[in-house]
Amino acid sequence: MRLSLGALALRFSAPAWAEAGAAPLRVITLFQGATDCAVMLGVTPCGVVDSWSEKPTYRYLRAALEQVPHVGLETQPSLEDIALLKPDLIVASHFRHERIFPLLKQIAPVLMLEEVFEFKKTLAMMGAALHQQQRADEILNRWQQRVAQLCQQLQQTFAGRWPPTVSILDIREDHIRSYLPASFPGSVLTELGFNWSDSSREASGVSIKLTSKESLAVVNADIFFVFLRAQNAAVQRNYESLVQHPLWKQMRAPQQGQVWQVDGVAWSLSGGMLGANLMLDDVARVAAAQVAS
Amino acid sequence: MSPGVKLCSAGVVLLLCCVLSLAVGATWIPLPQIAAAFVHPDPLSINHVLVTTTRLSRTLMAIFVGASLAVAGALMQALTRNPLASPGLFGINAGATFFIILFSSIFSLSSPDAWLWSAFIGAGVAGCLVWLIGNMGQGSLSPLRIVLAGAAIAALFSAFSQALLVVNQDGLDTVLFWMAGSLTERSLSTAAPLLLCAVLGLAGALLLAGQLNVLNAGEEIATGLGQRTGLIRLLMSVLVICLAGSAVALAGSIGFIGLLVPHMVRKGLSIDHRWLLPGCALLGAIVLLLADTLSRVLILPQEVPVGVMTALFGAPFFILLARRGGRYG
Repeated sequence: MRLSLGALALRFSAPAWAEAGAAPLRVITLFQGATDCAVMLGVTPCGVVDSWSEKPTYRYLRAALEQVPHVGLETQPSLEDIALLKPDLIVASHFRHERIFPLLKQIAPVLMLEEVFEFKKTLAMMGAALHQQQRADEILNRWQQRVAQLCQQLQQTFAGRWPPTVSILDIREDHIRSYLPASFPGSVLTELGFNWSDSSREASGVSIKLTSKESLAVVNADIFFVFLRAQNAAVQRNYESLVQHPLWKQMRAPQQGQVWQVDGVAWSLSGGMLGANLMLDDVARVAAAQVAS
Repeated sequence: MSPGVKLCSAGVVLLLCCVLSLAVGATWIPLPQIAAAFVHPDPLSINHVLVTTTRLSRTLMAIFVGASLAVAGALMQALTRNPLASPGLFGINAGATFFIILFSSIFSLSSPDAWLWSAFIGAGVAGCLVWLIGNMGQGSLSPLRIVLAGAAIAALFSAFSQALLVVNQDGLDTVLFWMAGSLTERSLSTAAPLLLCAVLGLAGALLLAGQLNVLNAGEEIATGLGQRTGLIRLLMSVLVICLAGSAVALAGSIGFIGLLVPHMVRKGLSIDHRWLLPGCALLGAIVLLLADTLSRVLILPQEVPVGVMTALFGAPFFILLARRGGRYG
């Protein structure tokens, strides 16, 4: 699945796709979602920031970004490196780069997104700014079609149980995070028509932090999508102790065998269109498994 | 009321707080079930499992951490003859934080157990450094020099920590929660060695209480009475590092208990260290237990870090103390 999407990204960057006439713009992307969307649009950035995990570049983007120089961290990009790359456009976000915006503006025109994870908006705005409007529209149309198709498939497979409630759980070393409908993965699942428990709907923000396993009851749902934040022993141990906890065993998803382990990069750290498509792959896998069982 | 009666009633209040701490949480567990959980534990009953695992370890941790911090604070105030001294002044919190960040970024230690020990080592290193610097010069530990050395070492370690966090942001999130102080999800088996260290520290402090009274009378009088003041000060420093170090390793930095509880006890109970130290242990445990119980239910289903709770209540009290011109002793 990872490979097929890498191939997808490569196909997009083939020169046949480039719009005639327009010289390729030199663009620097300062957050993960923008880098992801640039690759999806077939534009190879001339500078990117380090990834949060799988450093320095997420595996699913490595093939497309092999030779691309890095300009520091998402939270503190190096302005000197950015200036030296002489970009035509910088893609940043108010959420992360509000304070360096005046400086970025002096280096090159800046496309400022509000948030770092609103992948459809990021794609559309970047499409317009990079003279790839048509491509962006195509990608968004294809996304709509894919979502509609998958939604229909889910409705059929879940039949009387549609729409089931979901919880997205991020296992950390010493606590668990539950992502809410307003988050990146939450917005994709909402778009697919999944339902949320009352406590998730009422909470504000993008995630809640559960430090005590006693409060597990608030994430109770029909389906769990679970990912481990890091591949280390401590996170693994925390997940094992969670799975063995009596409160976990009492919840609906574990009882019905609906706990699906997914990839944290696609589900929370990517923040872009390619990552969102990887999420759809995972959900499609879950739908296929319902038919089989 | 005599100090003895007061101490006993504090003990009763502590017991009530324990029961409250076992009962309160995401779900309220009724008293008969708590009793049943200890008498006939049923591994299938979720309430029983909650009581005997998460809540019991949390309650014990709060008792020992609270008692250790308060007694360490009282020792610290006696050692430096400064009413505003707290264990943090030995650079203990800053040292523990720095070592956690250092070890987790260099050796990529990420398990809470490994943090426990790196924090304890950090607290020890910082405490020893402060003691050595405070002891340099004229050969005896000067209260003023130890305050200055503590402030300098604390600033140095916090600067190191910040430098490391800027370079390595990964650990930031988890370290942040630890720094704010938390008593959740620590298993008793990993905490046991540090709990033992805290118990030994508490016992040692009680044995030293009489000597503290003599030392408090002043350097000349104490020497005149035949006390080896250097040795007593060294023992006190070791105890402070032991107590505050294990507390900070178990629960992160929890402020204000070490600073305020000794003052409350001095006002309400006695300035005699033989009463003061046990009083501090009891009241420190009560305050931290109450703060932790409240921190669990304030913003359900999430939790307020308990260090934030103690600061929330401690800060106004601290201002009151400063305005009234709190005097040491």
